[in-house]
Amino acid sequence: MSWFLRRLAVSIGLVWVVATIVFLAIHLVPGDPAELLLSQGGVAPDPSAVAELRTQLGLDRPILVQYASSMARLLHGDLGRSLQDDTSVAQEIGRRLPRTLELIGAAMLLAVAIGVPTGTAAAVRRGGIGDRIATALSGVALSVPVFVLGTVMVFIFAQRLHWVPAGGYVAFAQSPGMHLLLLSMPATAIGIGLAAVIFRMSRAAVLDLAGRDFVRTARAKGLAPGRILRHHVLRNALLPVVTIVALHLGSLLGGTVLVEYVFNWPGLSGLLVSAVIARDYPEVIGVVLTISVLFVALNFVVDILYAVLDPRVRYG
Amino acid sequence: MTYFSLSRRSLLTAAATLPFLPRVARAERTPGTLTFGLSSYPPTLAPWANSGTAAATIKLLIYRGLLSYDKDGKLRGELAEKWERDGDTAWVFHLRDAVFQNSAPVTSEDVKWTIAQVADEKSTAYLKNEMQTVQQVETPDPRTVRIVTKQPTATLPLWFVNFHMPIIAKGSTDNGGTPVGAGPYVLKGQERGVSLDLVAFDKFYKPGLPKTKNLRVVVYADENLRAAALQAGDVDLIEYVPWQSMQAIGSDPRLKLDTTDGPYMFLLFNGKAKPFDDPRVRQAIGHAIRRDEVVKTAFFGRGAPLEGLPIPADSEFYDAAKEKLWNYDTDKAKALLKEANLADGFSCTMLSTAQYSMHKTTAEVCQQHLAEIGIQVQLNLPDWPTRVSLGNRGQFEFGVQGSSADNNDPDGLSQVIDGELTPSYGRSFALPTPKLHELLAAGRAEFDPAKRRAIYDQVQTVAFEQAPIVPLCWRAQGYGMAKELTGFHNLPGALTFYSGITLEDSAIG
Repeated sequence: MSWFLRRLAVSIGLVWVVATIVFLAIHLVPGDPAELLLSQGGVAPDPSAVAELRTQLGLDRPILVQYASSMARLLHGDLGRSLQDDTSVAQEIGRRLPRTLELIGAAMLLAVAIGVPTGTAAAVRRGGIGDRIATALSGVALSVPVFVLGTVMVFIFAQRLHWVPAGGYVAFAQSPGMHLLLLSMPATAIGIGLAAVIFRMSRAAVLDLAGRDFVRTARAKGLAPGRILRHHVLRNALLPVVTIVALHLGSLLGGTVLVEYVFNWPGLSGLLVSAVIARDYPEVIGVVLTISVLFVALNFVVDILYAVLDPRVRYG
Repeated sequence: MTYFSLSRRSLLTAAATLPFLPRVARAERTPGTLTFGLSSYPPTLAPWANSGTAAATIKLLIYRGLLSYDKDGKLRGELAEKWERDGDTAWVFHLRDAVFQNSAPVTSEDVKWTIAQVADEKSTAYLKNEMQTVQQVETPDPRTVRIVTKQPTATLPLWFVNFHMPIIAKGSTDNGGTPVGAGPYVLKGQERGVSLDLVAFDKFYKPGLPKTKNLRVVVYADENLRAAALQAGDVDLIEYVPWQSMQAIGSDPRLKLDTTDGPYMFLLFNGKAKPFDDPRVRQAIGHAIRRDEVVKTAFFGRGAPLEGLPIPADSEFYDAAKEKLWNYDTDKAKALLKEANLADGFSCTMLSTAQYSMHKTTAEVCQQHLAEIGIQVQLNLPDWPTRVSLGNRGQFEFGVQGSSADNNDPDGLSQVIDGELTPSYGRSFALPTPKLHELLAAGRAEFDPAKRRAIYDQVQTVAFEQAPIVPLCWRAQGYGMAKELTGFHNLPGALTFYSGITLEDSAIG
C-alpha cells in the first residue's frame, strides 16, 4: 500500500511540475492576450482599452499572485475560463478530447488491421514480390509527411472525385454516416504512417521468432504451419507491436495537430494551438495539463500492472 | 447456398473503376440554407470591441448600426433612414421603424445608451476615443437623435457605419447579459471553433430580407482546405480566397471569384533605432523596392504595386501625380543614403512574422532589394503574438505590416500614418508627425469637399517627405462562391471586410 501511495504522490507531484512549467513558459514568451484580442485584423488598439481589458482579465496582477490563484484553482479541479470568450476551459476540453481520442483510436485500429496481417504475410513470404512491394510501400508511407498525405487525399477524394467532404466535423448523434465519413479521411492519413511502422515491426518480429528453437520444435512435433504461426509466432511477435502502439498512442495525444488542421477536425491539438496563438493562458494550461494527466495516469497504470505481474518491482 | 468469393483480379478491377464512377457531391445542399466558409472563428461577438474581420462579418448579421454601405460602397441608411448635418458640431439621425431581436422598438434612447457604453472610461470599444469626442446626445423624440461633438467632425457618419459600432438594445448587456441587436439574422447555435448557425429574424426592418432563411457558417482555418471545400461543393461561399487558389476558382465553370484591391502592405519604422529616424533613409528604402516583384512573389500576382499613399484610384481624393512618389529608382535611393552619410550602406534587422506567409515573403523580397543599395537586412520572424508585442513596445528597427483602412475616406489612413497617436504595432514607433497630425485633424473637421481634397493633397506631399511608412502594394481580397449564389458582393477597396452586409441579399439559385 505504501508503494501505491508513493507512486500516487509522485504522479501528483509530476502534474504540479508540469502545471508550473507550462504557467511560466506561456507567461514568459512575448505576447499579451489583451493586446492580441484587441489587435485583430492588423488594427491598432487603443492602449486605454487594452489596459482596461487587462484589468478585467486579471492580467494586471503580479505574476506570483496570478500563479498562486491559478494553482489554487487547479487544486479545486477548476481549469478556469477562456480569456477570449469566458468559456469554461473544462467544458471545452470535455468536448474536444473525445474527438481526438476517437481519431487516434480509429487511426490505430486501421493501422493494426493493415500493419499486422501484411507484416506477417510479408515475413512468411520473405523475399517474394508481395514482400518487396509491401516493404517499398511502407518506406514511402513512412517518408511522406502526414500533412502532405492529407492534402493529397483532400485533392483526390474531395476535390476531384467528390466522394467525401473536404473536411469538417459532424456529431455522431446528428448524422452517424457523415460522422464516420468525415472521420475516415484524417484517420486514414494518420493510420497509413502508423501502419507502416507496425508492418515493419510485425515483419521483423515474425522473422526473428520464426527461426527460434521453440518454433523448430513445434514444427518437428508436426504442428500445422498455420497453427504454429497463429499460436506460437504471432502471439509472441505482438508484444513489441503492442509496445509500439502504446508509445504512439501517447505521442499522438498532443500530436494530431497537423491532421486536425488539414481536415478541420476540431480536436484537442487544434484547441491547444489556437490557445497558444491567442495566448489564452487558462486554456493552454488546461489542455497541456489534461494531456500530461493522461500520460501520467497511463504510466501509473502501467507501473501498477508491472508490479502486479512482477512482484520484484514492488520491492526493488 | 451461394458463396461470394473475392479474387485478386476482381478486387483490382473494382479499384480501377472507382475513379470513373459518377461524381457525387457529398454535401448535398439543404434548400433555404446557405453555407459560408469563414477563415477563423470569432474570438468574441462583443459588439463594440475589435475582434477581427471574421467576427465583424457575424456582427453585421446579428447587429445593425445606424448606417451601412451599399454594394458600390456608398453610405446608406440602416437603423437611421436619413441623417443630416446640423451646424458645424452636430449631426441628426432619424430612426426608422425597426425592432430589436427581443421585439423592443429601436429608439433614440438605445442610440444614446450605446454611445455612452462605448465612450465609458472602462470600455474596451474600438471607437472609444471617437465617442469620447461626443459632447452630448440629445433625444428630442424616440425616433430622432442629435449628436453634438466637441469639434466639427465631417467623418462622424463613418463612425456609425463601422461594424464595431452597432446599436444595441438599452440595458441588454448589463450584468453580463447577452447583447441584443437588430440584425437580419438571429444566432441560433454555435460550436466554439467549429461553426455558427443563424436563422432569419422574422421582424427584420427590411421587407423580404434576408433572402435566405438559414445561414450556416463553418470555420476553415486552413486556407487551402477552405478553397477545397468550395471546389468540392461543401460550402457556397468562402472569404479570404488564398491567392494561389484564385486562378483555379476563377476558371472553374461552377464557381465565381470576386476580388478587390483593399488591404495593403507597407514598411514601418522605429524612430528610436538609428538610422531610421532620418527621413532620407526611409525615403531611400521607398525607392529601392520593386513592388511588382512583391506582388508576384507574395501574392501570386494578385494585387498591385503601391508607390504612393493607399488611396484608391476611384476615390475623389486620388491624385495621379502622387501615385508614384516612391517610384523604383536605385540611383535616387543611393543618393539619399549618401546624403544621410550612409553611402556604404548599413546593417539592420527587419521584423516580420513566419506565421503568415504573405508577411514573411514580403520581408524576404524587401531583404533582397535592399541589399542592392547596400542595406544588409537580417530577418526576425517570430510568431504573430510576439510580432505584435515587439511592435507595440518598439523593440524593432523596421518591419513589414499589412492593414486596411477603416473606410475609403483618406481619414481612414490616420491609424497608419499619424505618428502622434499612441504607440502601436500597426504604425511606426516613436516617429512624430505633427504636421500630418494637424492636416489629418483639419481634414476630419472640414465639410467642404474641395477644401478637404486640398488638405489630403497636402497630406500626401507631407507623407512622402516624412515617410512615416513606405507603402509596398495592394493585395487582392477575394470571395469565392458558387455560380448560383446571387446577391453577394465584395465591397470595393477598404470596405471589402464589410461585404458580409450583402449576405442579407444573398440566395442560392
